[in-house]
Amino acid sequence: MSSNQPASTGKAGVADVAAMAGPVVDLVAGIKPIVIDETRGFWEGTAAEELRVQVCGACGHKQLPGGPCCRECLSDQLSWERASGRGTLFSFTIVHKAMHPAFAARVPYVLADIQLDEGPILTSNLTDIEPDEVAMNLLVEVWFDEPDRDAFGTQFRLPKFKPWRPDELRVH
Amino acid sequence: MTISGRTAVAGVGVTTFGRLAGRSAWSLQAEAVRNALADAGLTKDDVDGLLTEPQFGEPLLLHGHVLGRMLGLKTYYLSTKSIGGATAISLVQEAAMAIDNGLCEVAVCVFGDNAKTGLPMLFGLAQMGRGQADDIAFGMAGGAAMEARSAMRYRHEFKVSDEMFGSVAIAFRDHATRNPNAQYREPLMMEEYLAAPFIAEPFRRYDCAVTTDGAVAVVVTSAERARDLAKPPVYVAGMGQGHNLDALKDPTHYTHFAGARSSARAFEMAGVATDDVDVAELYDCFTSTVLITIEDYGFCKKGEAGPFALEGNLQLGGELPMNTSGGLLSEGDLTGWNHVAEGVRQIRGESTSQVEGAEVCAVSGHGGFQAAHATLVLTKEPSR
Repeated sequence: MSSNQPASTGKAGVADVAAMAGPVVDLVAGIKPIVIDETRGFWEGTAAEELRVQVCGACGHKQLPGGPCCRECLSDQLSWERASGRGTLFSFTIVHKAMHPAFAARVPYVLADIQLDEGPILTSNLTDIEPDEVAMNLLVEVWFDEPDRDAFGTQFRLPKFKPWRPDELRVH
Repeated sequence: MTISGRTAVAGVGVTTFGRLAGRSAWSLQAEAVRNALADAGLTKDDVDGLLTEPQFGEPLLLHGHVLGRMLGLKTYYLSTKSIGGATAISLVQEAAMAIDNGLCEVAVCVFGDNAKTGLPMLFGLAQMGRGQADDIAFGMAGGAAMEARSAMRYRHEFKVSDEMFGSVAIAFRDHATRNPNAQYREPLMMEEYLAAPFIAEPFRRYDCAVTTDGAVAVVVTSAERARDLAKPPVYVAGMGQGHNLDALKDPTHYTHFAGARSSARAFEMAGVATDDVDVAELYDCFTSTVLITIEDYGFCKKGEAGPFALEGNLQLGGELPMNTSGGLLSEGDLTGWNHVAEGVRQIRGESTSQVEGAEVCAVSGHGGFQAAHATLVLTKEPSR
């Protein structure tokens, strides 16, 4: 880089490096999702409080996380479809020791693998339940955490799950 | 005709394991290579192949280039690889294939890290989270939170008790009491195991591998050349790999790893059955990993490894002595490289928990979000 060039327009200028510091830290050591082309439909859905699965137009396979092609038939005829938002707790752990400082204030928390009614397994958190009441095969439904943005500005809301109690619906 | 018995491990080198403040990962790698060459009775000028796994603190692209330059090597074969806990075995396999196909003659495989005292693992952890589709956003950080969900499902489906998990940690600790390089050398009692704090349920402290600084290097050469070197050859009799690349996104992979496919290939190549295995060094990042691998390998039927362990069968004198250096749970977590070193010592008769007359050793590597699995069968004789 020549010295007479304004730093703000140089590819590796000082100002640019400083401006990149936030996103770089997020990318290297952060915990936010990093929205890429393959997962954009999923995260854009969460911003609209809609849980989505990627569906193959060729064979009908439904998958998460999103990819560049169908994992069953390699077709690139993919689209995003709204999911029911309900599923079953396939497995879980209650994390007591934070392995990343960002989670130190949150322990203990439930890291949960939810098998969606549509089939794919989504790793998330289970909330609105005491850790010692968490049981395998619990029926759960999605809710969306506060709006946030990834390192490149894409809006998202983390999809989290809480117990789904169908009989509550009958009260009304 | 396969590659079975045509190559051999001629040397292993380890550093001191433990809290080695001030030692760079590079210096540990260099020391392990020096020790391995001395063990084999070779010099640096004999080495024409280098295969490396980068340290986690600085997961450098082109790691092998840098280490090769630091060691002043003139190589004909160079490889750097990262497939999690299966990397050590997969590199030994790759070295054997390169040698058998004439690409090089003496290959050094090496890994070393200062995870205990060096650069924080944060970088590596964040990257590992990325590999699993943003799961880190929900707190999927670190191996325990990863594998605990497999353990929880396994426990649920097969009624595995806390004491069964504990008996794995206790057996390997018993072996570690005789290994001066082990991080934990005091015997572990069930009460102490159960009283230890949870890390990620069902894992308590002693269900998890113990972090250490250190390095391991393995010298591989042709069987013919190995017979003329300082130590008796330890033959690479069987090799296999298998991968569950969608890992915990597939409900069948929680309780069944790719070890069944990997071990079937390796045992067939070696011409051995499970009954022929005298000693095993199974990847033990967590206690549940060991139980599931025992079943995948066919040493027990599905769901029977827990009771098998509880009966004391994993200890020296038991039916299948295992992780005789203490393993990752008690000797230290060098991502499976120390399992390869201990497998070689068992076949040579050099272990601090030696299985009398050991002639066949099965070694497993498992990792990369439970996706990758590799198996090595080491033998005293070139063919069976």
